[in-house]
Amino acid sequence: MPEAIALPQPHELSQREKDDALAAYLMNFAAWGAGLPIPSLNLIAAWVYYIINRKKSRFVAFHCFQACTSQIPTTLINIAGVGMFVDYVVILNRDLPRFFWPYVVFAAVTNLIYLGTSIYACIRAAKGRIHYFLVFGRWAYARYYGPNAVTLEAAATGQNLPPAGF
Amino acid sequence: MRFDIAQQEAYSRGEFLLRTFFGWLYITVPHTLVLFFVGIWSSILHFISWWVILFTGRYPASFFEFHVKMIAWHMRLNAVMWNLAEGYPAIGTAGSHPALTLEVPYPESLSRAKLLLRAFFGVFYVSIPHVLCLYARLIATGVLNFLSWWSILFTGRIPENWFQFNVGTLRWMVRLNLYMANMTDDYPPFSGKPAPAATEIAVA
Repeated sequence: MPEAIALPQPHELSQREKDDALAAYLMNFAAWGAGLPIPSLNLIAAWVYYIINRKKSRFVAFHCFQACTSQIPTTLINIAGVGMFVDYVVILNRDLPRFFWPYVVFAAVTNLIYLGTSIYACIRAAKGRIHYFLVFGRWAYARYYGPNAVTLEAAATGQNLPPAGF
Repeated sequence: MRFDIAQQEAYSRGEFLLRTFFGWLYITVPHTLVLFFVGIWSSILHFISWWVILFTGRYPASFFEFHVKMIAWHMRLNAVMWNLAEGYPAIGTAGSHPALTLEVPYPESLSRAKLLLRAFFGVFYVSIPHVLCLYARLIATGVLNFLSWWSILFTGRIPENWFQFNVGTLRWMVRLNLYMANMTDDYPPFSGKPAPAATEIAVA
């Protein structure tokens, strides 16, 4: 059974790693930065940032992966809201359904919770610490520090591996 | 900050004429297309950098290097299109040009007061005066570019004074960009002349 990789402690990390990690969560504001109100732009920016930084260090890659994957639910919620609005108002030219405004409130609350969590994770990353998100935190940990992290990375780079169980 | 373009002894007239008549097609169009998308990314990073500087007083080093490379890319493109350098300018932030030097010292800390001052009043005390002066200078640069074109055509070279003046215009633009992009706290001088003494260089 392979062992998990030791988590880096704040004093072991360089300032550059901390800066790169904190910026991963700030990709939530990418749409504002680009001035393009597209609901999926934040996710695309987080993904691009992850692709650029995934090979820099485990700490940076962990935060980029967590920031990117944890954006998927809110992005889907936002896309559904915008899609509903465009479908009813622009395409079908009909009144919005009764559940639309409750849905907007739900989407707004979800986004606010996510933003708050992201800012907290961002501050933790700036200090060289790790904050685990629900579900996505465990996924990111398994991907970069868990027992299978080395095997996963080796498989991703096309290296030859021993048979399962060895 | 150090920005320079090495003046070449002689120009290839074939390449020069090709660039004059078809440069827009094989240089400007592909560069502009790629720059458009990379520019969106760059503006996202600028926006994020602003907030990072506000809270930490530091410019993220990776973002800083990216932006220096972006400026170098723009300058590479301008240098070739203004006939200050020859050869095809490399597309992408990883590229370089043998004639062009751009070195920007990485600031260990940046003033948050200046950051806010620039954000709210930068238009008045930086953009307007500099753009007014640069506009006049760009007209002169355009005239010199036109004269240089004939000079290259008949003599195969650009007079050094004209060359240095046009390089100075680019240098001024770089300094202005660096200041407005919060990459330095030093107010840009109203001049295209190189800095009197080289400072500590962190990023090339």
